[in-house]
Amino acid sequence: MNETSSSLSDLVVERVGFGIFVLDREMKVLMWNRFMHDHSGLSAEQVVGKSIFSSFPELPRVWLTRKLESVFQLGSFAFSSWEQRPYLFRFEHDRPITGGVDFMQQDCTFMPLTREREVVAVCVTISDVTAVSIVQREREEAVAKLQEYADRDGLTGIANRRYFEARLRDEYTRWQRYGGDLSVLLFDLDHFKKINDQFGHVVGDTVLRVMAQRVADVVRVQDTFGRFGGEEFALLLPCTPLEDAMQVAEKIRQCIGDTPVDVQGAKVPVTASVGGACARTGVPAYEVLINEADAALYSAKRQGRNRSVAFI
Amino acid sequence: MSDPVLNEDQRDALQEVANLAMGQAATRLATLLDTFIELSVPRVRVVAVRDAANMLRDMTGIDEPVTAVRQGFRSDIKGEALVICRSGSIAQLCALVNDPYVGSTYEAVSQEELVYDVANILTGACVSCILDQLGRTPVFSAPGLLGASMSLDSVFQANVLAWEVALLVEVNFALEDQSFRAHLVMLMTEDSIRHMNEALDALLSSL
Repeated sequence: MNETSSSLSDLVVERVGFGIFVLDREMKVLMWNRFMHDHSGLSAEQVVGKSIFSSFPELPRVWLTRKLESVFQLGSFAFSSWEQRPYLFRFEHDRPITGGVDFMQQDCTFMPLTREREVVAVCVTISDVTAVSIVQREREEAVAKLQEYADRDGLTGIANRRYFEARLRDEYTRWQRYGGDLSVLLFDLDHFKKINDQFGHVVGDTVLRVMAQRVADVVRVQDTFGRFGGEEFALLLPCTPLEDAMQVAEKIRQCIGDTPVDVQGAKVPVTASVGGACARTGVPAYEVLINEADAALYSAKRQGRNRSVAFI
Repeated sequence: MSDPVLNEDQRDALQEVANLAMGQAATRLATLLDTFIELSVPRVRVVAVRDAANMLRDMTGIDEPVTAVRQGFRSDIKGEALVICRSGSIAQLCALVNDPYVGSTYEAVSQEELVYDVANILTGACVSCILDQLGRTPVFSAPGLLGASMSLDSVFQANVLAWEVALLVEVNFALEDQSFRAHLVMLMTEDSIRHMNEALDALLSSL
């Protein structure tokens, strides 16, 4: 290498937008570029010739030693990604403080520097990937939010039918494998069409929202409460025998029927009919369980409404 | 036609190169991991990428979901290496680098990080040793997860991989009493295979 080209590489290493430093097998620093100086506050004069751990005692000593050793022994590359290990050095980043990104997020590459097939030193590069990590984190949050919306009923905010059926399918599969108890309640607001006709759809929607909220307040956290469609709701009760489920049915029926809904000064009386069914041998699929609960609901309607009936 | 791009001599030479390389890789891995890892004699096939899934299934009998980690390498022979392992064997794969320090809470290492580390070590050792036999010193890019639980077919989907030719190197890794398989696949363009052919010819003529 002639003098011009070597000084050119020196300038590049000095000015390049990522960290470059070189370690020997005893973890002694052999080279330290400007990026490392600027972000750590320690200059090449201060760190070169000393163990990296004496200048940066907070570095993960075992981890870093292993990485270096793997490069020395295998003569191949090693890597570290911010996704598994957000940073190696505690460098500040120049992004606005968002989403709990505390330090500069870093991707690190460990490269073997070889002379005649012998690894003489390891060059470490540090890339600032804070911007990438923030974008990715925001995307993950957005996806999580979308997922949440995809599982919710737009009007009432409780689980929608798709989510309810997915949960039912999971619980049903668990029941088939491990046994135990599993019950389902279906309920329907009585003469809801009349409410819509008499007071209008806006009032009808309010009634649905208020009822969903009342019931949501009395169900247990481990149960799944969903809107099945129109004025029909469903409640999934894992680890619950039918007898207990019917007590829950009564509680729901009362919390709906005991107090009329107050809509714009008008008191709208609402009652509900409930049908219950439980998983037992001979019920081959979760859809059958729903059908049985539906049959029980139908017979509650026929018996005069505002009551709960168990499928037998 | 399983080896459309290599003649018989080149194929034999490549098998020999792979044998030597795995021996070298096993020695290096043993020093690094402080346990002796037995690497089987690799089975080597060169196939079109579209046939790779079927061929690998025939060679390995894998029907279960697999975990696949990809990693680029480059010299004049360049391409991408995949480490493929049954998703159910990931814990065993990670056990390859399990030493007491890894479990410490002070410097905890996630399973995901371990998977990358092991895949990188295996790729690094095997690919470097193979290319080293051919007189090349490859540069590697960071490993990335292709999928944690996917079918072999989806690993080799044409729209996922930009490569035309797959060099399948099937290696067994055996660790003390437990034995399991991981599979190394090198994917290359026809150009790179041509460079490899030249390198193999050069090797053959130097014998």
